[in-house]
Amino acid sequence: MRKLVMPALLAGLALAGLALASPAAWAQGVRSGGGEGDLAVFKKACSGCHKWHGGGGGGYGGEALSLRKTQLDKDQIAEVVRCGRPGTGMPYHLRGAYDSVKCYDSLKADMAGNMPPETAVFLRPAEIDAVAGYVATQLKGKGEPTFEECTAFFGTTSRACDVYRKKEGSDAPTVSH
Amino acid sequence: MTTSRTARRILAATSLAALAAGALSLPPALAAEGGVTQERLLNADKEEGNWIQHHKNFAGHRFSTLTQINKDNVKGLKVAWTMALGGIESGGIWSHGGLEGTPIVENGMMFVTDGWGSVYKIDTRGGEGKLLWKMDPKTDREWAGAVACCGVNNRGVALWGDLVVSHTLDGRLIATNKETGQVAWQRQVADPDKGETITGAPLIVKGMAISGVGGAEYGIRGWIAATDLKTEKEVWRTHTIPGKGEPGYETWKGNNNAAVSGGGSTWVTGTYDPDTDTIVWGTGNPGPDWDNAYRPGDNLYTDSTLALDATTGKIKWHFQHTPNDPYDYDSVSENLLVDAGGRKLAIEADRNGHAYAVDRTNGQFVWATPFVKKVTWTKGINPDTGKPFEYDPNKDVQRYNPAATPSAENKTADFCPGNMGGKNWPPTAYNPNLQYWYIPVIESCNRVTHEAMTQANLKPREFFTGGGPTNPFRITGSVTAIDVKTGKVAGKHETQFPLLGGMLATPDLVFTGEPGGGVMALDARSLEKLWEFRTGSGVNAPPMTFTVDGKQYVAILVGLGGAWDKWFIDSTPELKNIQTGSMLYVFAL
Repeated sequence: MRKLVMPALLAGLALAGLALASPAAWAQGVRSGGGEGDLAVFKKACSGCHKWHGGGGGGYGGEALSLRKTQLDKDQIAEVVRCGRPGTGMPYHLRGAYDSVKCYDSLKADMAGNMPPETAVFLRPAEIDAVAGYVATQLKGKGEPTFEECTAFFGTTSRACDVYRKKEGSDAPTVSH
Repeated sequence: MTTSRTARRILAATSLAALAAGALSLPPALAAEGGVTQERLLNADKEEGNWIQHHKNFAGHRFSTLTQINKDNVKGLKVAWTMALGGIESGGIWSHGGLEGTPIVENGMMFVTDGWGSVYKIDTRGGEGKLLWKMDPKTDREWAGAVACCGVNNRGVALWGDLVVSHTLDGRLIATNKETGQVAWQRQVADPDKGETITGAPLIVKGMAISGVGGAEYGIRGWIAATDLKTEKEVWRTHTIPGKGEPGYETWKGNNNAAVSGGGSTWVTGTYDPDTDTIVWGTGNPGPDWDNAYRPGDNLYTDSTLALDATTGKIKWHFQHTPNDPYDYDSVSENLLVDAGGRKLAIEADRNGHAYAVDRTNGQFVWATPFVKKVTWTKGINPDTGKPFEYDPNKDVQRYNPAATPSAENKTADFCPGNMGGKNWPPTAYNPNLQYWYIPVIESCNRVTHEAMTQANLKPREFFTGGGPTNPFRITGSVTAIDVKTGKVAGKHETQFPLLGGMLATPDLVFTGEPGGGVMALDARSLEKLWEFRTGSGVNAPPMTFTVDGKQYVAILVGLGGAWDKWFIDSTPELKNIQTGSMLYVFAL
């Protein structure tokens, strides 16, 4: 029995250690491009509804708002990512939101029918910070999406961006019918 | 080469042995050796142990005459073997692919696809599956996945000569050598730059591969195209939205030039009537989906059944189900060609919740009946006209039941069936002995928020939907049987989850699967559940059956993808626990 207890105790300590670690420790493994936020988190958590360019729009997933037209600052964006938008399809992304952590000063019981949906994949606090930074610095205030923005997102091995190059007057390949 | 020749000899020997044993009742000219021909496709039902085209036969019946597995012994059905497939990679707006294909089997050789269009050839002889080759088309996942409204999907292959013919989500038609797995040639048929993608299996008619397109959520102008498999060239392409000067163009009114982005996609494989050389193919919703004021008029030929001359692609007749559709009620479903009550019918289970029969020689309406438990958008289909009772031909913008219709005056509307429809792409099956038609049903309502569109909203590769759905209501499912003799519902077997996989009929059984993981067999007459196996993953593909080594098997692809787990999961919260997967299951006694 004793032999079994020891590893369990050690594991418990290790978990406690992680829990006590600073947010910076959580950020390990999150690429953070010098305050520009993190594209990888945006790809993972946001682009499914807000699209690669953040412009959102109607679709099968409801009407995601345009992050390019957002008026929120970085902290407010982070709060919306953490807590979702009550009464809309924007999910909360922080594990324990409305449960162990209050959101908009509320818990689940206070939300009634307005509870936002739970995300498919929770984000860690540092990821939320990184993606809020990405939205605030890379998307907010931008006009129509460009070829450069597109290739920054998709890279250059896909034809996903050809349509933006065409728009800018290049001779991108077209399909012959 | 030596190996494959030997293999062919063995196969030939097997066929001969089978013929001698009377298991195959084929005249020698139709023997399976030597590639697939029009003659063999016309007689597909006579190749009892094979399944050589998507819907089993040209008429779309998905009915197998095999009876080794029957209602007396189906309880003993067990997993014979499984095989892990690939294709679960992410791309575009999709976190993973799924499996929606119907396996094709010819002389024990199975051909399946995964969501990204890889084709797998599997030797099923000897009671196990051996992968002989995999053709990976290297689909441009970001290009295609960003404009695929409803998942990373591919519904399977077709066979012709020594070729395996398939599509890719990024719009290609690919011909692969059946022996070697090498790509013989390929052709770009659809253009993802315009929001076009392809998910359906090709239909092969007289040496032409017929391709349909998806993209009505992205402002496409739909079409059906035929490619000659010998010359590799396009023979015809018929747009489902008429051009200026063509009949039907006048059903696109207003100042938005709405026909150019009118939708009318064709993403489900159709059927073929050799008696009249007619392809019968369904068309999808008009765009934008939920703003029908953008496109006043009936919006032909959206939400329609189209009959095309197979040789020229010319439209012979049409029947429209939901004129000026404000709900996203595609009529892409396969039309089964059945003869009942002395009439030659085309029957279709429409997303609008009604099963329709039309005379397939002229498109005249015969009957319609609701096959879902709840319809709120209309009081019903007028038995005299085949149109919804509220339809007013003098009105440019239809409101049907206004309280259930998203519009500028009713920004948020709840309607039933929901926008996935009472039945989506998963195919029905038809038992010609009982004249029962089995529909995989989504018993649903959902909520759509309307957004008024302008031409400025129309951008390449962007959603053009006029709003979007949410899913505050629980959605369930059923297998609903229609007696085609009467046009009435003959039975309903309710399921916890919507049926997203499709049907297989045998003389006394029907098989289906559900996204909670169950693969099941029901009594063909009573719909009582006789057998079920829990795969532990989500079923999103139709079952099929075949024989090899003289033994009957049931095969089904398992791996939840499609639209459901991204857009509609809130209506089936338990399915959030279903993990991504990609498996082939094969069952036997």
